[in-house]
Amino acid sequence: MPALAPDAVPAAPDPSSGGVPAVVVAGVWKRFGTSDVVQDLSFDVHPGELLGFLGPNGAGKTTTMRMILDIIRPDRGSIEVFGGRPGAEHQSRVGYLPEDRGLYRDVPVIDTLTYFGALRGLSTSEARARARQLLEEVGLGDALKKKAAELSRGMHQKAQLVATIINEPDLLIVDEPFQGLDPLNAEMLKGVLIAQRDRGAAVVMSTHDMGDAQTLCDRILLIDQGRRLLYGTVAAVRAAFSDGAVEVVGRDIPTDPSAYQSVSHASAFDGTVRFLLRDGATPRELFRELANTSAQVDRFAVEAPDLNEIFIRAVAGDVRAEAVR
Amino acid sequence: MTGQPGGGQPAPRDRNTVSGLSPTARNRRRPTFLRLLTIVARRDYLRAVRRRGFLFGTLLLPIGLGALLTISSYFSSSSLGGGSGPVSAGPTLVVNESALPVTVNPIIAPGFQLVDRNTAQSSLTAGKAKEFYLIPSPYPGDPEVERIEASARNQALEAVQRQQGQEQILDVILRNALLAEERISPQIAERVLDPAHVTARTIDGQPVTPGSEIASFLLPYAFTLLFVMSIFITSGYLLQSVTEEKENRVVEIVLSSVPALPLMAGKILGLGAVGLTQVVIWVATALVALPVLNQRLSLDVHISALTLVLAMIYFALGYLAYGAIFSAIGALAPGSREAQQYAGFFGFLAVVPLIFTGVFLTDLGSPIVWILALIPLSAPATMLQVLTLAPDPPLLQIALSLVSLGTFVVLATVASARVFRATLLLYGVRPSVGRIVGAVFARS
Repeated sequence: MPALAPDAVPAAPDPSSGGVPAVVVAGVWKRFGTSDVVQDLSFDVHPGELLGFLGPNGAGKTTTMRMILDIIRPDRGSIEVFGGRPGAEHQSRVGYLPEDRGLYRDVPVIDTLTYFGALRGLSTSEARARARQLLEEVGLGDALKKKAAELSRGMHQKAQLVATIINEPDLLIVDEPFQGLDPLNAEMLKGVLIAQRDRGAAVVMSTHDMGDAQTLCDRILLIDQGRRLLYGTVAAVRAAFSDGAVEVVGRDIPTDPSAYQSVSHASAFDGTVRFLLRDGATPRELFRELANTSAQVDRFAVEAPDLNEIFIRAVAGDVRAEAVR
Repeated sequence: MTGQPGGGQPAPRDRNTVSGLSPTARNRRRPTFLRLLTIVARRDYLRAVRRRGFLFGTLLLPIGLGALLTISSYFSSSSLGGGSGPVSAGPTLVVNESALPVTVNPIIAPGFQLVDRNTAQSSLTAGKAKEFYLIPSPYPGDPEVERIEASARNQALEAVQRQQGQEQILDVILRNALLAEERISPQIAERVLDPAHVTARTIDGQPVTPGSEIASFLLPYAFTLLFVMSIFITSGYLLQSVTEEKENRVVEIVLSSVPALPLMAGKILGLGAVGLTQVVIWVATALVALPVLNQRLSLDVHISALTLVLAMIYFALGYLAYGAIFSAIGALAPGSREAQQYAGFFGFLAVVPLIFTGVFLTDLGSPIVWILALIPLSAPATMLQVLTLAPDPPLLQIALSLVSLGTFVVLATVASARVFRATLLLYGVRPSVGRIVGAVFARS
C-alpha cells in the first residue's frame, strides 16, 4: 500500500542499530500488591521482526510493554532497548499504540500530531510536515484542522495510527491494535505493521486474535500469569503441536469429548470433526477408540493445530509446549 | 538465554532503514531533558492562555478597574458640573407658616429659598420646582413638616437621594432657627450643630488620612485575594491538564515519549508561566490604576517594591506547593469531577488565613498568625496579608515561613512525581491508600 510507506532511503548505513536486538528482556519480574504479574520473563525482538505477544487477559502483556517503554520499572531482571536502558535515551526511536488510546479532544489533529512528533525528536516544522503528509496519505487531508472531537471513529483511529508512526520508529509497540477497528481500518493497520517491519522496524504486537498472529507474526510469545509458555517462530510452534489435532470426516462420529480417553476438545462442522488430543495422547489411540464406536470414518488426518488451539492447549498446560518454551 | 529455545529467527527480509536512515529518521534527534521540558511547557502555556476562561479571568480585573475609574470620573464630573449639591434639579423651596423665625444661609443651605405658599405652588405648577417643603403653623409644637410634590409617581433613585440631602439640610436650617429662638450664643449653637472634628495622627505625629485607614482594610484583602486566586486558578489549570490527558487516554502515549519528570516539570513550569502572566497583568493594572484610584477615591494605597517581590516569591512557592498536590490529585482521581472535589478541600486550607483577617488587623504577633505562617499550605495567604499590614517586613517570620514552604515544595514535588508515575495509568479506579503510600516511599 502506498500509504504510510517509509521515505526514500539514502544509502548511508545506520550506525545506531547494526546487529543489536531492538529489545532484550531478561528474567524480568514485576509485582503489583501481592500478585506477580510478570514472572521471570525473557525474550528478545530484532529489527525487521514482528513478534506476536499473546496471552489471556491479565497475563501481563501490557505491563511488559510498559516496562519496555520505561513507563513502569521492573522489580527484578533487566530490559535493554537498542542495547541500552529503556527510557529517554531511546524514546525518540519508539512508537507506541496503547490499548487505551485517544487524542486531545478540543485540539486540531494536526497540532496534536505535531506535539507528539516534537516529543519524539522531530523539529516542530518537521513534525508538522510529517503529520500533514501522513494524514493526507490515510485520507485525512481535509481534516487537518479539525478537532479530535469532530472526527468520526474511523478517522480517529487513523489519526492515532499516524501519531504512532510519526517519528518513523525503529521499535513499534502496539497493544491490541485491531481492537475496536472496523475491517477496513484493521486491514490498513495490518498493512502498516507489515510495511514498518519490512522497512526494518522491530514490531511487538499484542493481540487476542490468533488468526492475525498466525498470518502477521514472525515469532510469537505466549505468556500466562506472567510466565512464558511458548516462544518461537509460528512454524516451530505449530510443528511442536503437530500431532495434537486430528480431523475426521465421516458419519455418526461422537462429538462429545467425554466419549474418548484421548480427546480433550472436539468441534464439528459440515461433516468434519476436529479433535484436540489430550496431553500425551497420540492419534493412534484416537483411531482405536473411533474403531470401537459405530462411526463410519471416510478420512482420518493428523493436522497441525492452529494458533488458537495451541493457545488453549498451552494455557491448559500441554506438555508439548515444553519444546518451544 | 532470551532467545532460547524459541530462538528460531525469521528469514531475513529486505530492510531499508536498518542499514540506512530515512529522511524522517535522520532528522530525528534524541530530545534532551530541557527540550522535552520546553516542548511540554510551551504547549501547555499556549493552550492555557488561549482558553476563553483564562482571557476572561485575566482581563476581568483590568476591565473592572477601568469601569470603576469611568464611574468615578462620571460622578466627579457630574458633581463638579452641578455645583449645588443635592438641589441640582432646581431650587429647593421652603414655605414657613410657623411662628419660628426661619432664615436660610446660602453657605449652609445652597439652593434653598424661603418663599410664600402661593409662589411655591405656582413654581411647582409651572415645573420650575419639583417639590417644596411646608413648615406648618403648629411647628415646633408639632414636628410635622410636609413635602409637597407635583405628582405621586414612583421616584427614581436619583430623586430619592436628592430628597434625602434636602431633608438633612432642612434639619440644619430648623436646628439653627430653634437655637436662635432660645438665644443660644452663636459659638455654642455652632458646636451643638457640629460638635467635633476628629483628626487622626500616629504616635510620632504623622497624619493619618481617611484614605490610609480604608487602605488598611482594603489592601490586605485585595492583595491576598488576588494572589491566592491566581495560585488556585493556575493550579486548577494543572489539575485540568492532568485529568484531561488521563480522561482522553492520551497520557500513555505521552508517557511513552516523555519521562514522567520532564513531563510533570514541563506542565508545572508552563502553567506556572500562565499564572505569572496573569499576575503580571493584574499587578501592572493595579500599579497603573492605584494612583488614579487614590486620587479619585481619596485613598492612600501603596504597594512597596519589596512587598511585590516577596509576594511573587510566595506566589511561586504557593503555586508549586499546590501544583504538586494538584498534579498528584489529577493522577489519583478517577475523573475530573472527583479531582475537583479533592482539590476543593485543599482550597479551603488556603483561604483559612482570610477567615482570621480580624486577628491579622489587630495583632500581627498573635500565635494564630505565626502558626498559619508556618503551615506550608496556609503560608502564602498568611504572609501576603502580613506583608501588606506590617509597617516593616517581619524578617524572621518571612524567613521561617519561606523555609517551611520551600521544604514542603521539595518534598511534595518528589512525592507527587512518584504518585503521578504510579497511579496515572489507573483508569476509572481509585488507588488504595496502601498503593499511594507505597508509591510515595518507593525508591524508584
